[in-house]
Amino acid sequence: MFFHIVLERNMQLHPRHFGRNLRENLVSKLMKDVEGTCSGRHGFVVAITGIENVGKGLIRDGTGFVTFPVKYQCVVFRPFKGEVLEAVVTMVNKMGFFAEAGPVQIFVSNHLIPDDMEFQSGDMPNYTTSDGSVKIQKDSEVRLKIIGTRVDATEIFCIGTIKDDFLGVINDPTTA
Amino acid sequence: MPRRRANNTHEDDEPSHDDQVGDQYDGYESNGGRHVSMKRKRRDGEGEEEEEEEEDDEYDNDEEEDYCRRKRRSSVRDFLDDIAAEADSGEDEDDEDDAEDGFIDDDVTELLKENKGRMPRRPFLPTEDDQDDVEEMARRIEEKYGSLSRPEQYDEGYGEETTHVEQQALLPSVRDPKLWLVKCEIGHEREAAVCLMQKSIDRTELQISSAIALDNLKNYIYIEAQKEAHVMEACKGLRYLNPKKIMIVPLKEMAGVLSVKSKPVDISKDTWIRMKIGTYKGDLAKVTDVDDMQQRVTVKLVPRIDLQELADKLAGVEFVKKAFVPPPRLINIIEVREKNIHVERKRDPFTGEYFEKIAGMMFKDGFLYKSVSMKSISYHNIQPSFDELERFLRPGENGDGNFSNSLLSGDTKTEHFSKGDKVLVVSGDLKNMRGIVEKVEDEYACIRPDIKDLPETLTFNVKDLSKFFETGDHVKVVSGTQEGATGMVTKVEGRVLVIVSDASMEEIRVFAHCVMKSSEVTSTNNGNKDYQLHDLVLLNDSSFGIIIRVDGKAYQVLKGTPERAEIEVLMYRDINSKIEKMGTTEDRFRNRISVKDIARIVEGPFKGKQGPVEHIYKQTVFIHDRKNIDHGGFFCVKAKSCTLLGGLYARGDIRGGVMDSRVSSLRSLACIPRSPGRPQIRRDERRYQSGRRGHDSIVGTMVKICKGHYKGSRGRVVDIKGQSVRIELESQMRIVTVGRSEISDKVNVTTPGCDAPLYGLGSETPMRVHDSMREPGTPFHDGMRTPMRNWAWHPYASISPARDSFSLASQLERAASPASGWASRNCSAPGTPRESRTHANSANIMRSPPLLVASGMILIAAT
Repeated sequence: MFFHIVLERNMQLHPRHFGRNLRENLVSKLMKDVEGTCSGRHGFVVAITGIENVGKGLIRDGTGFVTFPVKYQCVVFRPFKGEVLEAVVTMVNKMGFFAEAGPVQIFVSNHLIPDDMEFQSGDMPNYTTSDGSVKIQKDSEVRLKIIGTRVDATEIFCIGTIKDDFLGVINDPTTA
Repeated sequence: MPRRRANNTHEDDEPSHDDQVGDQYDGYESNGGRHVSMKRKRRDGEGEEEEEEEEDDEYDNDEEEDYCRRKRRSSVRDFLDDIAAEADSGEDEDDEDDAEDGFIDDDVTELLKENKGRMPRRPFLPTEDDQDDVEEMARRIEEKYGSLSRPEQYDEGYGEETTHVEQQALLPSVRDPKLWLVKCEIGHEREAAVCLMQKSIDRTELQISSAIALDNLKNYIYIEAQKEAHVMEACKGLRYLNPKKIMIVPLKEMAGVLSVKSKPVDISKDTWIRMKIGTYKGDLAKVTDVDDMQQRVTVKLVPRIDLQELADKLAGVEFVKKAFVPPPRLINIIEVREKNIHVERKRDPFTGEYFEKIAGMMFKDGFLYKSVSMKSISYHNIQPSFDELERFLRPGENGDGNFSNSLLSGDTKTEHFSKGDKVLVVSGDLKNMRGIVEKVEDEYACIRPDIKDLPETLTFNVKDLSKFFETGDHVKVVSGTQEGATGMVTKVEGRVLVIVSDASMEEIRVFAHCVMKSSEVTSTNNGNKDYQLHDLVLLNDSSFGIIIRVDGKAYQVLKGTPERAEIEVLMYRDINSKIEKMGTTEDRFRNRISVKDIARIVEGPFKGKQGPVEHIYKQTVFIHDRKNIDHGGFFCVKAKSCTLLGGLYARGDIRGGVMDSRVSSLRSLACIPRSPGRPQIRRDERRYQSGRRGHDSIVGTMVKICKGHYKGSRGRVVDIKGQSVRIELESQMRIVTVGRSEISDKVNVTTPGCDAPLYGLGSETPMRVHDSMREPGTPFHDGMRTPMRNWAWHPYASISPARDSFSLASQLERAASPASGWASRNCSAPGTPRESRTHANSANIMRSPPLLVASGMILIAAT
């Protein structure tokens, strides 16, 4: 799910950036530091949309670095258990398949793929129903439900299922 | 008891004794003095003052010593007080009782002693008189020990202590008969003991108290007697015993000889056991029948039988005994018949089941049923692995239910519940009810049911409960072969869970009872903290590699041989050390690659793959590609065969051009005051001009000194003079001059001064040479993130001749993941001098290789 929230961060800025462009520097540093990161609480920071407030800087003894508390608005993406997402299949193997929904990697185990779909190996490994009407392979788009998440410092990993009503392939690259 | 009695006597004659002692020792050396005061202290307060006066009189010359003495006295006071109090309180409370107790105690101990000595002399079967006597004795013993164990008899505070002391008092002392260890013929220990017993019945003058044969001690028996001579006497004439080898058991160890470690034998039907000896050593077996009398069990095994060998043997053909043990395999009766082996069908008289009897061995459903001695099996702490249990699945019996049940009957003891665990009731009336554990007490667990209308907690036997997990739970394996692994549950099959491991992305099957819910993520599979998953390690043969899997004590290492995936399984001892160094190296285009940078492989078998650099060692990089599942997603390549891509961790000057546009948009959005009337274009132009000082790009950049006196220091380049660089040290606030070759990091070493030969290589970034407007800083990193963004607003973009192709390129770029596909293009970048000149204009704005690539594309279009 996406959220537009306000976060705060203490930014350390080198003295050489002080001057007319201080604010600019601060913001670009903030973007560089924050965008694309991931936290367990908020999920991935997708983009910074605005600066709410830059607090008073505090000069650190010894280094000359200045710490600014910066409040910024940003768009975050955090997957939740039970959330239904659309994702693109990136890899298929006999254990299941991996799909990506933006920065989030989702693994769908073969236990969580409907029983009528079977793994077909080959140079384009895929899961196919017995009548061949539905096929999941690389670059297929699937709708899946997240059943578990694991949050690391740098990524969020999810386990998903397509073994439920209204889940499964929504767009097949071969037929499209 | 002895202590108490001592106290009694002491207190009885205390006054006189104390005075006496006091007189005797007062004025002696300090040691004696302490002793005196200790004794004296036992008097109560009333005497103390008087005593002190007395002391004062005697020692008023020597005040210091007096002080010392007092101090010492007070330091021991506490200790003595305790003991005095203990004795006192006992007496105060029930003086009479205690005295009586002591009386009886004496009596009983005496009696016991007497008894001990006399016992062997009595006829073996007690007569009626004796019976009375014994009953009387039993009553008295009961009286004694029963009363002692009742805490209310004593001061409450000391209840525990006293029982402990009592226990201690029961231990053998120097006055008790000693225990002698006598050598005995193996296998005749019991017999010898019985013989001794008979002997002591027959010959009343025998002075031994007891003879003990222990089942767990072969070749020796114990004899209890006061003197060695008595033991010798007893052993005389018994051929099993060797009286020449008699050893005394030290007093301390006497209790140990007869203390029994509680090790209950609870082999019951359907227990899992392991064989200890023979062909089936280490194999898992299931108990089907227990014969406690004969100490034998019948077990069900997966047979390890080589049918051919068996057939040959039965046919009387000469055969060579094979050295290896046949692999476990279920026996197929049809196959057996084909080998012309006689199969007899027999019915078990007790159970009524039919067995196939082949060469004296009993089979049923392909399993071997074997009767073995209890000694040849181990039944403690058996943890069947998943594979082993699967073998016991009867063919055609794939139902989860039965399998789970067989697991259930296995090792429920290992299941530990803790508060908050989700559990499922597996047997009883409330079967299949779910709940959450609230409290665990030994065998019982209180659980709060998951049902709304049932608010109260229920108590269950732990055996009726099973841990319960749902798909998607994040769990940690706490026991078994996969111990330490963490992962997410993808499937629950009865009591077996399928988990996707966090570390290896593989599916593992574990038992629910080995698992607990945990949010923790371990990258390592074992508790060994020395080497962890994904560590770069130096091996003993001076090669190196990255740990891609940890299995117990074995490490699977992807060795650092570029372009090949060489996997080796190594033990702990094969690994020399962990390589902690975080080096940097240069890629194909001499960009500096450091750990966490994202690199793309442009040649070799892994061509086209990309991912973050995890380790760098010498000229080899280990790259992790999460789309790749082989070898944990790692591969090892030469640094020269990859190119650095921009990425999250790519560093660069903070004023990276990329952000500028967005920052400026934010500025308005966030209402940050903006200097009025300064157009965006002007700002950028200005920056290019002001950013350039002299001719050198590294002025103003942050560098690290890698050689010489200032090695390791960081600083900013202030000026460059020939081959020396003046650097303002970050740490010391001063400017130092170091050689050009002594600085590193983030500085692109190529400078205009030495450009020509380098660019001769062609594949380098040709435009940079002409780029006199280049921004100072680290041109390579800068802008690589999203190369094309700049075009949208860049002032020069409009004058670029082939704008269309740029937009095409940017479209391409956007379509692909960042910067994919650059590399191949990049190679074709070099153009003729004339062409490069034409692009020199546009090159003004090209500050990074990706942009150059774009120009390369124009070239293609133009030519």
